[in-house]
Amino acid sequence: MTATTVQRTVHAVGTTDGARLHATVSGSPQAPVTLVLAHGWTLSQASWDDVAAELAPDLAEGSVRLVRYDQRGHGRSTWGEVADDDVEIDLLGEDLATVLAALVPTGPVVLGGHSMGGMTIMALAAAHPDLIGERVRGVALVDTSAGRLATPPRTAAERLQQRLLPRVSSWAVAHSRRVDGWRRRVPPTAPRHQALVRGLLYGSAATDAMVLRGAEIMSASSVRSFAAFYPALGRHDKAQALAALRAVPAEVLVGETDKLTPVRHAERLAAALPDAHLQVVPDCGHMLPQERPDLVAAAIRRLLEPW
Amino acid sequence: MTSTIESQPQSDQQTRHVRVAVIGSGFAGLGMAIRLRAQGVEDLVVLERGDDVGGTWRDNTYPGAACDVQSNLYSFSFAPNPEWPRTYSEQPEILAYLQDVARRFDVLRHHVFGAEVTEARWDAAAARWQVRTSAGDFSAQVLISAAGALADPSYPDIPGIEDFAGTVMHSARWDADHDLTGERVAVVGTGASAIQVVPSIQPVAGSVTVYQRTPPWVIPRGDRPTTAFERALYRRVPLVQKAVRGVLYAAREFLAVGITKDPRFLAPVQKLARTHLERQVRDPQLRATLTPDYTIGCKRILISNDWYPAVTAPNAEVVNAGIAEIRPHSVVTRDGVERPTDTLVLATGFHVTDLPIAHRITGRGGRTLAEVWADGMTTNRGSTVAGFPNLFLLVGPNVGVGHTSMVYMIESQIGYVSKAVQAMDDEGLATLETTQAAQDDYRALVAERSAGTVWLEGGCGSWYLDEHGHNTTLWPDFTFRFRRLTRTLDRQNYVGTTADAREQVPA
Ligand SMILES: Cc1cc2nc3c(=O)[nH]c(=O)nc-3n(C[C@H](O)[C@H](O)[C@H](O)COP(=O)(O)OP(=O)(O)OC[C@H]3O[C@@H](n4cnc5c(N)ncnc54)[C@H](O)[C@@H]3O)c2cc1C
Repeated sequence: MTATTVQRTVHAVGTTDGARLHATVSGSPQAPVTLVLAHGWTLSQASWDDVAAELAPDLAEGSVRLVRYDQRGHGRSTWGEVADDDVEIDLLGEDLATVLAALVPTGPVVLGGHSMGGMTIMALAAAHPDLIGERVRGVALVDTSAGRLATPPRTAAERLQQRLLPRVSSWAVAHSRRVDGWRRRVPPTAPRHQALVRGLLYGSAATDAMVLRGAEIMSASSVRSFAAFYPALGRHDKAQALAALRAVPAEVLVGETDKLTPVRHAERLAAALPDAHLQVVPDCGHMLPQERPDLVAAAIRRLLEPW
Repeated sequence: MTSTIESQPQSDQQTRHVRVAVIGSGFAGLGMAIRLRAQGVEDLVVLERGDDVGGTWRDNTYPGAACDVQSNLYSFSFAPNPEWPRTYSEQPEILAYLQDVARRFDVLRHHVFGAEVTEARWDAAAARWQVRTSAGDFSAQVLISAAGALADPSYPDIPGIEDFAGTVMHSARWDADHDLTGERVAVVGTGASAIQVVPSIQPVAGSVTVYQRTPPWVIPRGDRPTTAFERALYRRVPLVQKAVRGVLYAAREFLAVGITKDPRFLAPVQKLARTHLERQVRDPQLRATLTPDYTIGCKRILISNDWYPAVTAPNAEVVNAGIAEIRPHSVVTRDGVERPTDTLVLATGFHVTDLPIAHRITGRGGRTLAEVWADGMTTNRGSTVAGFPNLFLLVGPNVGVGHTSMVYMIESQIGYVSKAVQAMDDEGLATLETTQAAQDDYRALVAERSAGTVWLEGGCGSWYLDEHGHNTTLWPDFTFRFRRLTRTLDRQNYVGTTADAREQVPA
């Protein structure tokens, strides 16, 4: 029969406002430490699949337990009662606290966040500084930022774009069925679709398979998650809140050609956190968990080392 | 439900002699009993192992159990029901309908419940069937098996399943007292029963993991409550309901063109199913997992609006890695993942190509139906078998249909069998038996009609085909062709003996 097996359970974690967050727990319940991974905007927990595969031996030998979950409004997770205008990264921080309380009520935790998932961790730290150091013993911040993502418009075209975007977004949400129809017509397998995704998110070393997989994961996201979280990302500002994270070791990683959260954001994070280790990965973009799952896993392993 | 005293077997274990014994009281057995009474056969017993009529609709009480054919069509032609609450009825309504029909046509008094037929043996000397049941022995001149093609649950042969410490339920043997709230539920199978039960239990279960071997094609279910107006209209002008039934029948028969004649005609249906999937499942990887790799119609086409939403719910998961073993508290798949599990729901279907009743019926020369059928289930018109005088099968081989109502096929056969019984009366026959030649002809006809069907051409394995890959379950043509074939008794294909002549006929 099967020699070594890895346990897996799925959960729907309920939030106070009625959202149900889809979480997958793998590994032994007796593992000495739990790794919780939060994904980025318009992605889902599937964006961690490659990192999880790297960590498979650790899961199999029982040295770590892994929790992946879909952020609110992403993947299989529902929206709850929040209105689109009230969507903030802070809400995601609360969701992460809820996931921890439900699935990892005790024991040491290492958190990993990619892009918006990194911001989620910062929001958690801001709202629950008591958890940091006490429960949370390390953080991996991948392709992410503490704020000032929305650069002020410089040209007239940019100003116009900024004025129109909210209206375009709300139109898209209102007509999401039609927009989804268009999206179906240019599926992730379409070269046009992949070229766009590659240009925006990936570095020069990315393979076509990586780009396709990323495009697939994103195409599973809803128009609403795109539109509702976009303004929230612009408002995200946790430069002050980083103070709470100073108590724990941090691994900060960024792709050298990341266009969404460029290198300077990672540098700012590393500068604010005394026990941070910064890695700028050449030829990579904004999708390190896919582009270099080995490096991300190695960074996470360094955080897990004490156990 | 209890039967009246007169139909109970004698307590002193004497054999009860009847003219006709029917095994089973589902749609087929009930309809048969009603028809026989209508033509004056009163010396009749229906042997039913359960404690009520209904068959399929008594046994399949899992949450969400419902019919995939509109009730206006999935009902007896002689007993229209103007009160159907929905387009597609759920199990409780269909069961209530059958109970009501049994009462109205006064056949309950012919029933013996709790009578499981364990053996039926042809007694050549007496020219009668000797029937043993768990409620006593019977002897009958004519034996009609209406034991159902989807009546005996099939349990998967998974290593370790006997050692599972949690609850195990087959969908057709549901334990309503077992509360699934908050439990980690594993559902094995993605057939017709699974896609009904999963959406019903997913909202209450802690988590639902669906173990899939082959995904089904699923099309939208156009279901709605019937309006008070419709019901009043059907009550007052029964012809309207009859017309609706006719339209539904005709519309569904169009599907037979694609299924049995030329699979290309199924392309629009497959497109409908694909769009349904793409609308309801966003994740391309999950979509791929849920996309069949065979032509639609090769397996039963399923209808559901809530299957995909249920398997994409936050607490659900579809696993197609294949089950390697079951441990006392978990299910292990071939990829080495172990999922802790509280309850195992087996939606794994029924013994279809290996009918248990075939092992229990022994014909001339001491051979069981199963033995005679070892190289494939051959019959004359799905109803009679050479070597088995005075035996009639309802929903026998090649009588199944997936695209329309089974009741239509059942009624065709009921008509055929009643004519055979009538012929025995008219001619004063002691025995009536079909010929090997008739059976060979019929087998050739079925094989020829099956040749171009999507079941053989569609690139799938299914419960429709036997172990040799032959279609022995489904009717491979328009259903009206089956009705035409069974409209009259093909007397030339039968040998009959009278009571006097019988002495000279070797057993
Ligand atoms: C979940 C499910 C959904 C279905 N949905 C549809 C649908 O949508 N459309 C459709 O056309 N068909 C459907 N069917 C097929 C359905 O079985 C037939 O339509 C029809 O009900 C068959 O009736 P029957 O009388 O031949 O068999 P059954 O209803 O199975 O009745 C057989 C009876 O025989 C009894 N019996 C069996 N063996 C013995 C024995 N040895 N001794 C005594 N009694 C015995 C059984 O207890 C049972 O009561 C479905 C079947 C199932 C299981």
